[in-house]
Amino acid sequence: MEYLLIRLEDKILSLKKASKKALVAYLVAGDPNLDSTLELMHGFVDAGVDILEVGVPFTDPIAEGPIIQAAHDRALKNNTSLNEIFELVEKFREKNTETPIILMGYMNTFLANSHALKEAHTFGADAVLIVDIPGESDLEGLGIKNKNLASISLIAPTTSKDRISKICNCSSGFLYYVTLRGVTGSSHLDISEAEKKINHIKSQTSLPVFAGFGIKTPDDAFNLSKISDGIVIGSSIVQMIHEQSNQKEFKKIYNYLHEMSEAINR
Amino acid sequence: MDNLTDLPNSDGFFGEYGGKFVPETLMHALKELDETYSKLKNDQKFIEEIDQDLVQFVGRPSPLYFAERLTDYYSGPQIWLKREDLNHTGAHKINNTVGQILLAKAMGKKRIIAETGAGQHGVATATVAARLGLECHIYMGAADVKRQSLNVYRIKLLGAKVHAVDSGTATLKDALNEAMRDWVTNIEDTYYIIGSVTGPHPYPMIVRDFNAIVGRELRKQSMEQFMQYPDAIVACVGGGSNAMGIFYPFLEESNVELIGVEAAGSGLMSGKHAAPLNDGEPGILHGAKSYLMQDKNGQVIDTHSISAGLDYPGVGPEHSNLKDSGRANYIAVDDVEVLSSFHLVTKLEGIMPALETAHAFAALEHIAKNYKSNQHIVINVSGRGDKDINTVATMDGISLD
Repeated sequence: MEYLLIRLEDKILSLKKASKKALVAYLVAGDPNLDSTLELMHGFVDAGVDILEVGVPFTDPIAEGPIIQAAHDRALKNNTSLNEIFELVEKFREKNTETPIILMGYMNTFLANSHALKEAHTFGADAVLIVDIPGESDLEGLGIKNKNLASISLIAPTTSKDRISKICNCSSGFLYYVTLRGVTGSSHLDISEAEKKINHIKSQTSLPVFAGFGIKTPDDAFNLSKISDGIVIGSSIVQMIHEQSNQKEFKKIYNYLHEMSEAINR
Repeated sequence: MDNLTDLPNSDGFFGEYGGKFVPETLMHALKELDETYSKLKNDQKFIEEIDQDLVQFVGRPSPLYFAERLTDYYSGPQIWLKREDLNHTGAHKINNTVGQILLAKAMGKKRIIAETGAGQHGVATATVAARLGLECHIYMGAADVKRQSLNVYRIKLLGAKVHAVDSGTATLKDALNEAMRDWVTNIEDTYYIIGSVTGPHPYPMIVRDFNAIVGRELRKQSMEQFMQYPDAIVACVGGGSNAMGIFYPFLEESNVELIGVEAAGSGLMSGKHAAPLNDGEPGILHGAKSYLMQDKNGQVIDTHSISAGLDYPGVGPEHSNLKDSGRANYIAVDDVEVLSSFHLVTKLEGIMPALETAHAFAALEHIAKNYKSNQHIVINVSGRGDKDINTVATMDGISLD
């Protein structure tokens, strides 16, 4: 089963070899429904997405702005559960065994299903990103991380230097730098502050550092890609999914992702 | 077993409950708050400043009052009332806000935010912010804005801005979500005054410590007025700050029974209630591990209570530990019992309790019979009921228009 953790490492290595930046895309499982999520995941990959971040909906997502909150609410109206998300990942793996999948969510939904994380890799999930847990926690002791499942940690503009080194020491996969103070979808991107902080993080770890929160335009993506190893896009895609969900015309989203993918490798 | 008074530990845990389960952006602010508080809590000048405010601004000490007619009514134990309803602004909430606003000042924060359910914490926060001339924003569930309109207007009169929160269930939990989001966004200049013993460490400890004045006064007053510590102390529990404040100084007095009263809403069996300690499972919400109303998938479930202040799916982590350790007992009373208790106390004692507080009174129906006439029960009268007259009138089918 060891190979499953390797999927993420393989992806990072192959990007590095090709001198390419990573494009990570987020969507909420079950918004508008799980069939669409599956379709979107494959579509994202075809449009140039390297790593998928699949949001696990929660009733009280305190780190999310209004766009992603609303998506969580819609997914919960469909009763989207963690078990169904595992099935979604398993189905995705029938056609795609290469693209790493990160399950992103809140501690309580994972805790409620304590076996969930032990089994997550058997369905084809590669890592978790738990928004409301400090990065230097004993992630193995809490049952979050195991030999088959990486745990991605966030570092914020407010994270102190001593905590950065602690977080780097217990991280695997990559580090996720939150480019702004605020919730997802905010708009106070400060590139020079991000650059300073990312350089410091890179001095503490050999893992790649991806940047996310507040990236909307290809220009944002281009600017951040110059100072990081990859970017994460969330709110702008989630908004488009919502806008397009009635006519199920996702082409606009794929075009957008394609543009972003070109921007970061410009 | 650990000495209960020494908790939380340095990571913020009361046994297995508590901790800091928050987005990374908040970690630094929590550490800063922890350090500031650790330094100031033993600082003579800081202590004197708070003590002076509690006496001259809040009106402390609050009386310990013998409820003669209520005692006669139950013909059991002697019933005493700790009168937090007589504090400035009408509830215990001001004890916490006068302390936290001084922390905010010491940390140089210019902007104050808070969540509120019944509006009492919103009023208490807007009050201390007005006094220091600080910008103040209060988050309140849209449903609560409606049922606590009197307090909403008070908050506005005090110069604070009220943000009605429409998301989720539009009650206290959603107000907390929104306040947290504001804090994440404005972390540099903003101080978040949490109103209960909930949230990430160090809040449950800080809010408890500032409310513990209630229990410390009671130690002294009970000795002076009936020559012993109470046999039992009864307090309502939503997040649990008034209960924690009166319980804490008695944790090591094993002869003093501690009874928390949760909101059973339409009844524990109905599932429509707000009683996580009676009918919940441990989980994580708003930064701490504690008992929580949740479904099997770990989603937080809708709560119901006649009282906006108790209408919350979680509870302070220290209460969870007191429950598991057996040091405190937690019971629940339903809306109907609460309303009848509200009327009873108002008529018998001339004291109109808040609907939150009426839960503690309603517990007497269940427990009074267990005590003898030479025993003493203290009810923490956490707040006054003026804010609730619209709700009470509606329940009684009376129009005030």
